[in-house]
Amino acid sequence: MSHTSRSHRFSRRQFLGGAAAAGALAAARPVLAQAPAVRGKVTIKMMQVGHAYAAGLTENLAVFEQKTGIKAEIDQMSFPILNQRSDLELSTGSGAYDVLQMIFIRSGRWIRAGWAEPLNPFLDKDDLGDFAAGALAPFRRGDTIYAIPWLADSTVVGYRVDILEKGGYPKPPETFEALQEMAAKIFTKETAAFVTQDNLHWIWPNWLMSYGGNFFANPPDDLSPRLDSPEAVKTAEMFTTLLSKYSPPGGAKLNQDIAEAMMHQGKAAYYLDGFGNVQHIIDKAKTQFADSMAFGNTPSGPKGHFPQLAVHGYLINKGSKKKEAAWEFIKWATGKEMMLQNALNKGHLACTRSSVLNHPEVKKKFTWHGSDLPALHETVMKRAGAGYMAYRTVPQFPPIGDRVIIALTAIASGQASAAEGMKAAQRDVEALLRKDGIQIKS
Amino acid sequence: MSSRSLARMIRRGAALAVVALLLLVVLFPVLWLVLMSVRTEAESFRMPPQLFFTPTAKNYLDLMQSKFFRAFENSVVTSTATTVLSLLLGVPAAYALGRAQLRPERLLSLWVLATRMAPPIAFGIPFFLIYIRLDLIDTRLGLVLIYLSFNLSLVIWMMRAFFEGLPASLEEAAYIDGAGVVGAFVRVTLPLSAPGLATTAIFCFLLSWNDFFYSLILTRSEAVTAPVAIVNFMDYERWEYGKITAAASLIMLPVVAFSLAVRKYLIRGLTAGAVKG
Repeated sequence: MSHTSRSHRFSRRQFLGGAAAAGALAAARPVLAQAPAVRGKVTIKMMQVGHAYAAGLTENLAVFEQKTGIKAEIDQMSFPILNQRSDLELSTGSGAYDVLQMIFIRSGRWIRAGWAEPLNPFLDKDDLGDFAAGALAPFRRGDTIYAIPWLADSTVVGYRVDILEKGGYPKPPETFEALQEMAAKIFTKETAAFVTQDNLHWIWPNWLMSYGGNFFANPPDDLSPRLDSPEAVKTAEMFTTLLSKYSPPGGAKLNQDIAEAMMHQGKAAYYLDGFGNVQHIIDKAKTQFADSMAFGNTPSGPKGHFPQLAVHGYLINKGSKKKEAAWEFIKWATGKEMMLQNALNKGHLACTRSSVLNHPEVKKKFTWHGSDLPALHETVMKRAGAGYMAYRTVPQFPPIGDRVIIALTAIASGQASAAEGMKAAQRDVEALLRKDGIQIKS
Repeated sequence: MSSRSLARMIRRGAALAVVALLLLVVLFPVLWLVLMSVRTEAESFRMPPQLFFTPTAKNYLDLMQSKFFRAFENSVVTSTATTVLSLLLGVPAAYALGRAQLRPERLLSLWVLATRMAPPIAFGIPFFLIYIRLDLIDTRLGLVLIYLSFNLSLVIWMMRAFFEGLPASLEEAAYIDGAGVVGAFVRVTLPLSAPGLATTAIFCFLLSWNDFFYSLILTRSEAVTAPVAIVNFMDYERWEYGKITAAASLIMLPVVAFSLAVRKYLIRGLTAGAVKG
């Protein structure tokens, strides 16, 4: 009986508890009713390399949200981490990031794998014409566009006018042969004649292509490697001579910060690299030689002028469930207004839009002692529109590029002759390509 | 002073000089790192390097404005939690394996090592995919679980050796005095294996603290740990050497502090069993 009574009391408590819960639920209804509006608010995620451009975007995310109602989060990271994470996120189709940076040398692989959403349904074709041909080329397959470029890094040279003039060069040398002669003439123990960064597979092609060579026979159609061709061996010899004889100590292994510091400190007279790096040599906070610096085109070779262009874009992740919102973000991030703002406020000279590069305020900001830097950059972008940068976006390029760096470093350090070093690279690259099913023609 | 004591003093002085020189050689990279962290960038790149300079706290102040301290906190939390959990779970397991008269004991111990039989990269993608399904990506809990998986084998193998080195008769004496298995383990065995526990704890902490790979693969922005955060100071256009060196100097501090706190046990733990007698 007592048991029954306890059960009864318990039931009553249960009833009261249930009633209280129902009351609480009823009270919470207005709050729950608001939930769909909160759930309806779209949040997208984007990942890219740490860069002043991304800093500019981050500062303006509130403006983007106000305009579109879309909340965006940007994760910035270094290139080694971005490379790993992008591959992992895209290959597993996680869809965690809606927008990713289309990394130039990985674009071929990612597009081939179908990880980037074709952007044609979203595109405004009139606006597309504002992007330089060379900047769009890596992300175009036929008529399909897979990414919109926000950064185009063009190889140029920055040099010390006073040192070159003293050596008898009122203008920087126009050919690589002349550069070699000049280096021998102006090199001193205190001031190296030449400096560049250690990403040698990005710098050496300036020489290689100007002498008629290429990494492959006819990229992207014929990927038979041509690393031991007479042109490759000759230019490897020329380039590594500059690194070993006329550069600061450790010339083949200086990263861009050290190369820039060499120019800042007056330890080097001539710096060849992407504009994104070279433009910093006139930072008056870091150097007393800024007013003696000037900029110019990279030299040419017997077959012409082949400045290099590395382009990075924004893609929509195929695995994203918020593609419309992702496109709204890309449209805003690469739009004229944002790019202009980043050029003026963040020193972003490596712009991809002609309208921004020709904007009077941009011209004014980036004209240095009479040199029109935006025009210099645009010339390279137009030149690269010819399609000669195709070698860098073939899916197999990243490990091949790494192998070329090993070969050039070995040659520069005297561990191998140019012929031996490039032959060994050719052998390894052939094996690598065969493993990937590429037919190699002799 | 006799010639004999003079000779002894010279020998001692020479020995100290050699030790000091060796210390300088061994610690030079650390010293250079710390010096770079209190120099301006221009000073860091000056050729030839200047021995005397005005130190600056700018790099540390800049670091405070960045997200590094969130990553540092993640490292402290995940490494400490992993160390505590590894010891809590691994030490009793090691004791059981060391004392139990089980026929498949060797086989069991071998399988405990399974997570260390392949390089981490082999487990990277499977873990990533499982973590996505379990919603553990970019969480501290996810990192702790993964660190636990490879730290447990270390704890079990290291502590089993310590327990096997302790005479079982001590526990048998405790049983006679009325203690149970757990009581004998907690009151007799554990206090005697303090050096082993300290050594194992340090190795556990270090393995988690220095992990780069799993933090790279299994985090995105919220649970990123300090080693990955440091690499993120390498921007596209420039490497932030000031922040990199300041962060690297800070990242050494907890390990140094922890090692100093338990160094007495650490040395005893490392040399335990080296001499029998």
